[in-house]
Amino acid sequence: MDNAGISSKAFDEELIRSLKGFAADKRKAEEQLFSKYSYFIKEGERKYVLPQDEIFNAYADAIIITIDKIRDNTFKGLSSLKTYLYQIFHNKCVDLLRKKTTNKQGVHQTSSLTEMMSQLSDGAKSIIQQLVERTDFDLLKQRLNEIGDNCRQLLLMWADGYSDKEIVANLAYKTADVVKTTRLRCMDKLRQLYKH
Amino acid sequence: MENSDYIDRYFNNELNASEKTQFEQKIIDNKDFAEEVAFYYSVWASAKNEVTEEKKKRFGEIYQNTAPNKTGIVKRISIYLSAAAAVVAVVLIVNVSMKPDSSQKLADQYIQEHLKTLGVSMSSRQDSIQVGLDLYNDGKLQQALGQFEAIIARDTVRSEAKKYAGIVSLQLRNYDKALAYFSQLENDISLFSNPAKLYKALTLMERNHAGDAEQAKALLRQVVQNNLDGKETAEEWLSKKW
Repeated sequence: MDNAGISSKAFDEELIRSLKGFAADKRKAEEQLFSKYSYFIKEGERKYVLPQDEIFNAYADAIIITIDKIRDNTFKGLSSLKTYLYQIFHNKCVDLLRKKTTNKQGVHQTSSLTEMMSQLSDGAKSIIQQLVERTDFDLLKQRLNEIGDNCRQLLLMWADGYSDKEIVANLAYKTADVVKTTRLRCMDKLRQLYKH
Repeated sequence: MENSDYIDRYFNNELNASEKTQFEQKIIDNKDFAEEVAFYYSVWASAKNEVTEEKKKRFGEIYQNTAPNKTGIVKRISIYLSAAAAVVAVVLIVNVSMKPDSSQKLADQYIQEHLKTLGVSMSSRQDSIQVGLDLYNDGKLQQALGQFEAIIARDTVRSEAKKYAGIVSLQLRNYDKALAYFSQLENDISLFSNPAKLYKALTLMERNHAGDAEQAKALLRQVVQNNLDGKETAEEWLSKKW
């Protein structure tokens, strides 16, 4: 293996460690990952002949999906981070091209969301999907911003894949149980705000 | 709160199989409970969307700050140097118009036009190859490669699978693997039509390491001289400067 290969592997390992670590380390690692391969954006513009903003979105989505996959241990390290990221980016660009040719707007769902729903049996999933389609997401977003900084931050960290135990280490809570109780109370509070 | 905890434990995989089945049945039987589950999911989706938007905004700022600012250079050109700048501009324009195409540009164009999607297999054992082609056309490159490699493992003389495995490897930028598959394909003299040399040249052009361009040109010359598959493309590429 050449020197570039070794340093790239070391970079991957360090980045993966940081992405699984504390929030401050994770944030920095996310930015490092984004910057390291941001030349994909220019390449994407040239290869897929799509506008820069659309290619940028595809690349940012690919970065976010890669980070999620690293954090939930779906990324097994069978390929380099670069190859893994490029494949997701490529798929995103192909999706964009398809949407352009078929003129269809796909439902925006992250892979984690799809995975979350996939746990349900078909019968239960169908009911939940129908109910979720009726959700007023604009109102929910508005209420999420009104719920208070602590609750909002807690729910965002939860949605970002942090476990209650990890949240203890990053925010000022005593135990994971306290985090869970607070998080569920925040969700109840949000439901009250949303319904009224 | 009680239901919230129950829902949370389900999605955190803290329930056993029997409890999971009961949970799913409760969704079907109890509308209020189903609405609570849907709300839990919607909050997750909404918060996840917020997180994603915040990250994209942050990434956008990083990208803006690191992207080269060409206009700044232009602004620094003094009015007193405008005449000289005009001369420089003319020289630049001439240089740009004379600049040879890069081998990667030619290769990218070919891949975009000819290899972005692959057609239906004409093989008698169409199904397994077609599965690979469908995966490829869906952009699932790693899975497509796995499919073609499984076919090759079962049947080592399967040239069609080698060709596709090479193409997928090229798309995955695993150039060494692509070259290895195309070399295996090249050695199959039983094929009436064999694009292996052209694809090897294409891979070398895309990789563009030191010495790759010379090797690619030598292969293209062989394609033309021996009237092999891809002769017209080879002639076109050889006629350009790169």
